[in-house]
Amino acid sequence: MAQDIINIKRPQRWDVPFWSELAGDLTREMTAADVDRLLQFPLFQQMDPKRFSAASPLRDVLLNDARLRTFKPGDIVVRQGDYGSSAFIILTGAARVLLEKIDDSLIGRQPSQRKNFFAALSQLWKTPALPEVRPFLNDGGRPRPARAGGQVAAETAVFVQDVTAILRDKRTAVLKEGELFGEIAALSRTPRTTTVAVDCPTEMLEIRWQGLREIRLRSPEFKEHIDRLYRERSLKTHLLETEMFKHLDDATLEQVAQATEFLTIGDFDWYADFAKGRQAAAAEQLRQEPVVARQGHYANGVYLIRSGFARLSETYNHGERTVSYLGRGQTFGFEELARNWRDKSQLPFQRSLRALGYVDVLFVPTQIVEQYVLPTLPAPLLPAEAEPEHPAAGRPREAPAAKIRPEMMEFIVDQRLINGTATMIIDLNRCTRCDDCVRACAATHDNNPRFIRHGQVNDGFMIANSCMHCLDPICMIGCPTGAIHRDSAHGRVVINDLTCIGCATCANSCPYDNIQMVTPRNAEGQPFYDQATNQPIQKAAKCDLCSNQITGPACANACPHDALHRVNMRDMGPLAVLLNRQ
Amino acid sequence: MTPHSRRYRGLALFLLTILAGGGCWVVNYALTVQLHRAKVFSGCALLTLLLLLTLFNARKKLPFLPLLKAATWMRLHIFAGLLSGFLFCLHLHGRIPQGILEATLAVLYVVVAASGFVGLALSRWLPARLTIHGENLIYERIPALRAAVHHQVEELVEQSLATTHSSTIADFYESRLRWYFARPRFLCAHLLGYRQSLFTLLEEVNALDRFLDPAERNIMGQIVVLINTKNNLDFQLAGQRLLKLWLFVHIPVTYGLLLFALLHAVLAFTLS
Repeated sequence: MAQDIINIKRPQRWDVPFWSELAGDLTREMTAADVDRLLQFPLFQQMDPKRFSAASPLRDVLLNDARLRTFKPGDIVVRQGDYGSSAFIILTGAARVLLEKIDDSLIGRQPSQRKNFFAALSQLWKTPALPEVRPFLNDGGRPRPARAGGQVAAETAVFVQDVTAILRDKRTAVLKEGELFGEIAALSRTPRTTTVAVDCPTEMLEIRWQGLREIRLRSPEFKEHIDRLYRERSLKTHLLETEMFKHLDDATLEQVAQATEFLTIGDFDWYADFAKGRQAAAAEQLRQEPVVARQGHYANGVYLIRSGFARLSETYNHGERTVSYLGRGQTFGFEELARNWRDKSQLPFQRSLRALGYVDVLFVPTQIVEQYVLPTLPAPLLPAEAEPEHPAAGRPREAPAAKIRPEMMEFIVDQRLINGTATMIIDLNRCTRCDDCVRACAATHDNNPRFIRHGQVNDGFMIANSCMHCLDPICMIGCPTGAIHRDSAHGRVVINDLTCIGCATCANSCPYDNIQMVTPRNAEGQPFYDQATNQPIQKAAKCDLCSNQITGPACANACPHDALHRVNMRDMGPLAVLLNRQ
Repeated sequence: MTPHSRRYRGLALFLLTILAGGGCWVVNYALTVQLHRAKVFSGCALLTLLLLLTLFNARKKLPFLPLLKAATWMRLHIFAGLLSGFLFCLHLHGRIPQGILEATLAVLYVVVAASGFVGLALSRWLPARLTIHGENLIYERIPALRAAVHHQVEELVEQSLATTHSSTIADFYESRLRWYFARPRFLCAHLLGYRQSLFTLLEEVNALDRFLDPAERNIMGQIVVLINTKNNLDFQLAGQRLLKLWLFVHIPVTYGLLLFALLHAVLAFTLS
């Protein structure tokens, strides 16, 4: 046995400190002196180091989960739309937040790194004959420093020549020393909401979200500070993103913002209960879902979904029928309010809104909508005139969701498949079970298929066990090293093999069982074992949507019968077309 | 792609195939009336088409190259296959192939074309039947699942012997069920949709009922569930095996056809 395995040191959380992930002159090694200096800043000074655990003391968090970054005039720190997993604190200098959206090319956004044709072709002979070969583990299990990860490259500072002109021409806000930004994207696993650039030499501390979460957990002062910023900044951005508020001027928008209430309904860690109650009867599941607004109740305002998901349902005899589901950016109750205002009627809510797991909602009361929003609302945004005798009068307009069969809609919502942005759906009435998809996946992933052609089936469609690249990727929540992260350009959830320590937190968190733990080997097929415990080393593996291939997802391209599709479950139009095709 | 665009694309490809076939016929006719060797044209066109058809399999081996979607290749493969049939007839010119080489070549072509049609029909007909019949299973896992079911049945039989002090179930297992669970059964019947064999077995189970006490009846009920589970395993195995097997005819014979076609072309050019 001893000859058949290779003993190495099991990878640990801080084997690859955050600073080492950035190469070149963009960062430098964090030292004890740097940490001492950081602890003098007001934000950290108020923290009580005793509140931190012995395994993750504040000093070590700063040493390993943070890095010092120096930006020159013209550098863009974060770009709107990028997926980021870190927040920044300005130590010296200042930064400018762009309040207007600008062209991608102006902020140096480049296409993501993909293999060229010859690199792709070379997979024909370079693919190892054995599965799960990881030659880099031969170095005693210590990953190589930096840059090979994937997350890193896109996080480097981008220098744009005419940033000064951009900053001069566009509306900006100034962030000063000691201010924190980037925390919304880091904590909510969502894209950056603004672009931040610097026009003077600036030093910043960048904290990856694992460290941010640790500090937030241990320091109530810091949590309060982050939560306040999170609420303030999220509100402004979200209102501006919503169709019904776009036409409002600054002063009116401010009035609306003042009156807006924040509601968080349900449990942020919903996945633990979901995994347990998944097999419960549908009615029981529904009963456990907290109601945000109930059908038949007075239409007291408009609900804007800020994050999370909600079920839209209506009563049907003795039960509830799911009509649709809502996600970030979608609204509830506006049609009823608009009709009441226009027709001087008292139409109550026509459907119920329930939190699926948890949902963050912005609530704008009826009085505010009637006073500030409806009088100036462009006519096309108002609901169509309802005919009084028509039974559907007053109902919200029919959406693509209406084209999805009710049983399928219930299945999608009950199983929380709504979370997927690239869900693998297989039409079993077309699938010949040839496994060309699995072979194509293996061929593009070093002889390792990254999904299983197996999964839940409803109405002849299989939701295969393949990563869905969730809108809210809860697999990322517990990762101690940030190995599982979002590709900053496209938001795909990918795993950095170098920094994965094989703790299986992501695999256990994934409520859809779409992450597998695999045992890596060397080129001769010998598995790696931990020197200390003599247990096999493991790595998390899952679908990466062929992010580095020129072809896009190989599975969908390889299906000769057009049976396999990758579908964004929020995009209900194409989903309805797929589910209804003959 | 929407269903409409898919339908239009299929129609366009069909029309294109007819146009290409018509074009080939015109050229062939023109060459014939001008006393040129029209057979060289139709033969070369057919050989080229056969090579293009074979490339579909090569595309499957190169999923990492941007070579169009396999579904597009499949559509092209079907219509090019139809066109090759027309060219084959044009090339034969209503004549029965003479000699061993020509006859072998013709037979190989017919086998490839026929297996292709059969495969196409199976791939349109069987998936829906597999879907509605029962749990969908991965082909490679079926033997392990069957073994597990068999093991469960044996445990139930042992349990009946130990707890009921009656040999009715054990006797029936020895006489009928051991055979049924030992390996896949009634595969052809499954494919033909013929369920008599399963009904006969279940009838025999029902006939035992008069000899069973409540405890045995409970065990027998569990065994009936496993009989149905095994039945679905056999159905999935039969269907999925057939969906794979036709390719074991279509692909190797295609390579044989190509070899013979190349040999035929070389001989035709060198000996004429």
